[in-house]
Amino acid sequence: MRERVAVIGIGATPVGRYKDLLDHELLLEAFAQAFKDAGVRKEDIGGLVFSHPRTYTKQRYFATFMAGYLRMQSSATVLEVVGDGMTGGFAFDKAVDEILLGKCNVCVALGVSMETQVPSAEHMNLTMRAVGDVDFQAPFGFTPISWYAMDAVRYMHEHGATREQLASVAVKNRRHASLNPIAQYKDELTLEEVLNARPIVEPLGLLEVPPRSDGAVAVVLSDLETAEKLDRPYAVVRGRGFFHEGAHQISDKPNSMIRLEAAREASRLAYEDAGISAKDIDLAELYAPCTIVEVLASEALGLCPEGQGALWAKQGETALGGSIPLSTSGGLLSRGHPPLVTPLYNVVEVVQQLRGEAGERQVGGAEFALTSAELGNYNAALVHVFGKAG
Amino acid sequence: MRSVRVDRPAPYPPRISAATRPFWDALGDERLTTTRCLDCGDTTFPPKPICPNCFSTQLSWQSLSGRGTLYSYSRVWAGPEVFGEELPYTVCVVDLDDGLRLGSRLLDGVEPEMGKRVTLVFVHYTDATLFFFESEAAMKNES
Repeated sequence: MRERVAVIGIGATPVGRYKDLLDHELLLEAFAQAFKDAGVRKEDIGGLVFSHPRTYTKQRYFATFMAGYLRMQSSATVLEVVGDGMTGGFAFDKAVDEILLGKCNVCVALGVSMETQVPSAEHMNLTMRAVGDVDFQAPFGFTPISWYAMDAVRYMHEHGATREQLASVAVKNRRHASLNPIAQYKDELTLEEVLNARPIVEPLGLLEVPPRSDGAVAVVLSDLETAEKLDRPYAVVRGRGFFHEGAHQISDKPNSMIRLEAAREASRLAYEDAGISAKDIDLAELYAPCTIVEVLASEALGLCPEGQGALWAKQGETALGGSIPLSTSGGLLSRGHPPLVTPLYNVVEVVQQLRGEAGERQVGGAEFALTSAELGNYNAALVHVFGKAG
Repeated sequence: MRSVRVDRPAPYPPRISAATRPFWDALGDERLTTTRCLDCGDTTFPPKPICPNCFSTQLSWQSLSGRGTLYSYSRVWAGPEVFGEELPYTVCVVDLDDGLRLGSRLLDGVEPEMGKRVTLVFVHYTDATLFFFESEAAMKNES
């Protein structure tokens, strides 16, 4: 079996609201960009792994439709993968598998997530059924982010973190997004604006929870030999780890809801696979729909000291120029959050960083970068460690 | 433990199956119950037709205290369309004295406080009974 896989091409549409494009048309923009960026020939592509689109995407059996649309023959794989917030991460991971197993030399992980056709309250009729037991939890009115809000209350209670510290994550991420051409929200925010935003799930207000966003991403992966021959900049997947803690939102056996055990174990496996430790990571793109989640994940992944993630955010340690820049793209809060492809947007950002193409967001001398994807209340986590080519 | 009657259907009522009917029937009779494994003794919530600890299918029903402590909470101002009429409301996580954690709702008007003692309130909608919580102190003042 092959040992490593390269990311040789990336394409992503700006995150935003798209009214005049059909779902697959938006995806084709990203795909065409990634294809051109990779510099491969059509016949080099062996497989397509799609993130499963929302139920609002009218075209069903999307993967096979797209294979027809692109007139793509494949002896490796053409399929859609599903995993709630982890969907795009699974698409990427499955594409890695195809290459490691030698089923193809070049595989594309891609997807589109169209969210804004449906108002948020109507959308939550659907998502509330994903983030809890439909019969024993949904009847109480939990929303996806209400669980994170409860994490915030618990975290402040246990660690004495302040609202200002948590809110500073949103201010920092907006500053990063102001430097990112594909970000949905680019106007800088003040701490007061974040703190005074209308409440959504207390203690979190509108600017600490994810926006509604559409977006599409394509990422081209290959074996290292193919990547070398192309003679273009690329990044290498150095390690990966997955863990499901065997709980859905909460464990019925009381444990710490804010330690994010799955992120701890998945990152341990990923660091081990890469032969590095958390302190070697130069930047990370986290799946963090709310300010609190970035704080909790930064601690669980070993990037910030226990109980000090919020303090570190306030002190600027997690900003560009700080000791461990997090969400250099602007993150889910400001780059935007089309959930099913958010993990692929995270891959795009770290590949740009490792290729030295992140412009004003560039983390100088970045050697190793990390992405995370999750579902539920980080009940499962998928972590990838990326390194520079060579 | 108190009960409250609400003169409308539950916004999103649970489905009731052969496996869970004993739970919902008992709740309607104002008892909180769950399943306990006859092989390993493990209890779980919600009740299940299999023991998640040892995968035995030999189970019995057991009553739960309905008392516990508030682990966390959040006041929800933007909720699913079906819950529109109940907004804002406070969801919570409660650790029962029986050693089980569950998700629930705080009764309107309850001032949440971390680690506070809470007690179950049976909320009878016209089509289903749900298990909310209120502070233990509030319950004592009422009685």
